[in-house]
Amino acid sequence: MAEKRDMVQIEALEKYFGEDKERVHVLKGVSLNVPEGSLYTFLGPSGCGKTTTLRCVAGLERPDGGRISIGGQTVYASGERVYVPTNKRPIGMVFQSYAIWPHMTVAENVAYPLTIHRRPKDEIKRKVSDVLKIVGLDGLEDRPAPKLSGGQQQRVAFARALINEPKVMLLDEPLSNLDAKLRVQMRSEIKSLQRRTNITTIFVTHDQAEALAISDQIAVMHGGVLIEVGSPHQLYSRPTRRFTATFLGLTNLIDGKIVELTGDAQPGKIQTKRGLLSFIPAPGLKKDQAAVVSIRPENIPLHKVKPQSSENVLEGTIKEAIFMGDAYQCKVAVGDDLLAVHTHPFNAVSPGDKVFLHLDPSSCNGLPADDKQGIDESMLGD
Amino acid sequence: MVSRFNSQSLILVGCTLFVLYLAGIPLVMLLYGSIRSAPIGEPGATYTIQNYVKAYFDREFYLLLLNSVYYAIGTCTLTFLIGTFLAWVSERTNTPFKKLFVVMSLIPFIIPGILSTISWILLLSPKIGLINIVIKELLGLESAPFNVYSMWGMIWAEAIHLYPLVFLLMSAAFRNMDTSLEEAALTAGSSTVQTFYKVTLPLMRPAMVSVLLINFIRGIEAFEVPALIGVPAKISVFTTKIFLAIHQFPSDFGLAGAYAVTLLAVSTTGVLIYGRITRREERFATVTGKGYRPRVIDLGPWKWVTLGIASLIFFLAVILPVFVLLWSSFIPYYGVPSRELAAKMTLANYQYIMNYPLAWTAFKNSFYLSVGSATLVMLLTSIIAWITVKTKLPGRAFLDTVTFIPIAMPGIVLGVSLIWVYLTLPIPIYGTIWVLLLAYITKFMPYGIRAASASMIQINKELEEASLTAGGTWFQTFWKVILPLLMPGFTAGWIYISIIALRELSTSILLYSYNSTVLSIMAFDLWEGGQYTYVCALGVLMVLLLITMAFTARKLGAKIGIAE
Repeated sequence: MAEKRDMVQIEALEKYFGEDKERVHVLKGVSLNVPEGSLYTFLGPSGCGKTTTLRCVAGLERPDGGRISIGGQTVYASGERVYVPTNKRPIGMVFQSYAIWPHMTVAENVAYPLTIHRRPKDEIKRKVSDVLKIVGLDGLEDRPAPKLSGGQQQRVAFARALINEPKVMLLDEPLSNLDAKLRVQMRSEIKSLQRRTNITTIFVTHDQAEALAISDQIAVMHGGVLIEVGSPHQLYSRPTRRFTATFLGLTNLIDGKIVELTGDAQPGKIQTKRGLLSFIPAPGLKKDQAAVVSIRPENIPLHKVKPQSSENVLEGTIKEAIFMGDAYQCKVAVGDDLLAVHTHPFNAVSPGDKVFLHLDPSSCNGLPADDKQGIDESMLGD
Repeated sequence: MVSRFNSQSLILVGCTLFVLYLAGIPLVMLLYGSIRSAPIGEPGATYTIQNYVKAYFDREFYLLLLNSVYYAIGTCTLTFLIGTFLAWVSERTNTPFKKLFVVMSLIPFIIPGILSTISWILLLSPKIGLINIVIKELLGLESAPFNVYSMWGMIWAEAIHLYPLVFLLMSAAFRNMDTSLEEAALTAGSSTVQTFYKVTLPLMRPAMVSVLLINFIRGIEAFEVPALIGVPAKISVFTTKIFLAIHQFPSDFGLAGAYAVTLLAVSTTGVLIYGRITRREERFATVTGKGYRPRVIDLGPWKWVTLGIASLIFFLAVILPVFVLLWSSFIPYYGVPSRELAAKMTLANYQYIMNYPLAWTAFKNSFYLSVGSATLVMLLTSIIAWITVKTKLPGRAFLDTVTFIPIAMPGIVLGVSLIWVYLTLPIPIYGTIWVLLLAYITKFMPYGIRAASASMIQINKELEEASLTAGGTWFQTFWKVILPLLMPGFTAGWIYISIIALRELSTSILLYSYNSTVLSIMAFDLWEGGQYTYVCALGVLMVLLLITMAFTARKLGAKIGIAE
């Protein structure tokens, strides 16, 4: 199969907000490529620059440096003074508030991108009914926009963004205004809609669960910098950056110093204050370098009797065990460290129990230690 | 490729230039004219300070200043007392029928100033005043107990016309006050009276000071009452002095200019102080847009007293003037209501007005000017509000300021300035309806920008961004998305401006010509000619036209924009 080309290319994007002394550097050289036909997510905490990047692609913000192209056409280049205004870019956008115009009906809202280009009436009518069918709103053409529920408003916003067959769909936290149940339902609908239409889609969210569930690829951002890009599975199970490991899901971090390496993605040994541990190093790590081992709570089998193999086994005491139905969420004291461990409910545990933790070596990710990106990990760990 | 940012800047520059033309040039020309020795266009004119010397070294000038200030202070004190009392009664007490107060308080607003002035002459004139005649007969008095042709008569007539604004502003101030602040004082052990002095009063002070200032400015620039009552009573204020300096033969433009500059300085000072106070007030406002439920004070039996006072105010301020206007419009000659006169009631006054040679022209002109200026002002200020609220362009603050300048220009001063402008500039519109249209647009811009900005702030930015991402140009976005969403504010501003445009007198009176006569001028002329009953018929027709226009505007606005 031929290599898919990149639909959106962003190079060294720079953006400042504010004037003079209050100038804030919000995008610090962000570069990324969104492959054609993919669902690509910008993920990060608030203020990380994800929405600003999206708005730069839309042309709603004017970058201060770098280059953006959509479908091979340069829409912004600082050096060449190219700047294509928003309304000339081949995009469709769904806003956080949906931005459904309250003075129009459903059909008028959806037809807007066609009516402003003075397309024939019968074509507009046909396309509106087609696209409303796609989003599951057929028959609601004449309903006034304020009389829609939150979920329906969102479908209208999608229909309006889709009707012009844009090259790129831009979704700015479209699920954040829905209640929890509807959010889960809509996110699978967005995914199937994207599969059916095959339109390249950029999705912005701060919700890591949402990002994992929906994306083909995720770009993790933090503090105006792109941290890393990968598939949900890759980023969750084999993060290469400390921020990714802590932001995506829950993890335990154990500091240490690398004492043995056998090669890229091959098991190595690291000396920690809990003893020598086997781990898989992230690319670029060197021997004798300070590193941190990240291991997810669900990858730590918990034993009441000491296992046969003593490799990567730590001894501890249960401090807290919360029954969640599908798991026990335990806090296990190992020396003066507290490790989060999730265990299957048949394995009944209670505080005070002596246990043995087996840190599965293939799930122990060694990451560069000096890569904190100024983030408060104590907040993310809980 | 044209970028959105360039078109934004273009719109900004365009608006700024236009607004500068409307508001800036008259100012410059006024100052210029006041230092010229002869009217513009006359050969041999030189620069001079003679106009100011003549103005300031005249004893009359100081009398004028004293009168103006006395009149303005009297007016603002009396309006404040009436308006604040009614606002307090309707917002903070359990006085019966207080809902009705709101409606009653707004009626004087729809009656043009010239008509309310006339109604008070018809009520309080020593010779023909209804109240005087009735009281004289009842008590067997030799002379009339009241004389409208006095400083106090003037202040009364003006205050009755202006108090609705105080009522609205003070009601809002009472409503927006967080009553938990008062409750905190009460729970801390202070009495109701102590709470009022220590908490309520200091909290209300900024609102009170700004309301007093607004009314002082309105008193200083008032024209109708000083012209209709002050001139016959030989009590001159700045506005009438300027009017007379131009209306005498030959006109003394230089002196009028010197007086106008002085008046402008006084009102500008007031506006600047007002601006500072309201800005500070906004800064201290901790919670905005939140509707508090005011703590209603149980007055006990006193509620009948407050009801009595409020009813008396409404009887004097609303029922009597409306009655005297209606009554006079149906009788053949002016007189006290009696069975005999009632038998002679007729539509002859209305027929006379309909057949009056200039009436049709005046109706047409007033209607066009009112609808035209309201529409153009709201369109212009909607665009300006978009720039000042939605963009971050440098220069937007300047645009906002220039749009606001005319609020400090009394109508008569604007009139003088525009005479200078269109006698000097090679734009041949002097004496036509177009100069009136430009004057109205200039004068009403500040009201338009207020209404438009307040609405614009409430429009979520994403609603217009959605249009841009859907491929709409700036113009399409403005026309199809922003303007319809702005409709509630647009309509409210439109109605307000069309009402004040239809009754505008102080600027028009210096700029009109035979063919550009408007209704308020026609009323003024009929009054000067002593045709009281005809004026009243015309006034009733004007009020009917105003009400029709306001209702139509609301209907249309709701159709275009969001239904309420």
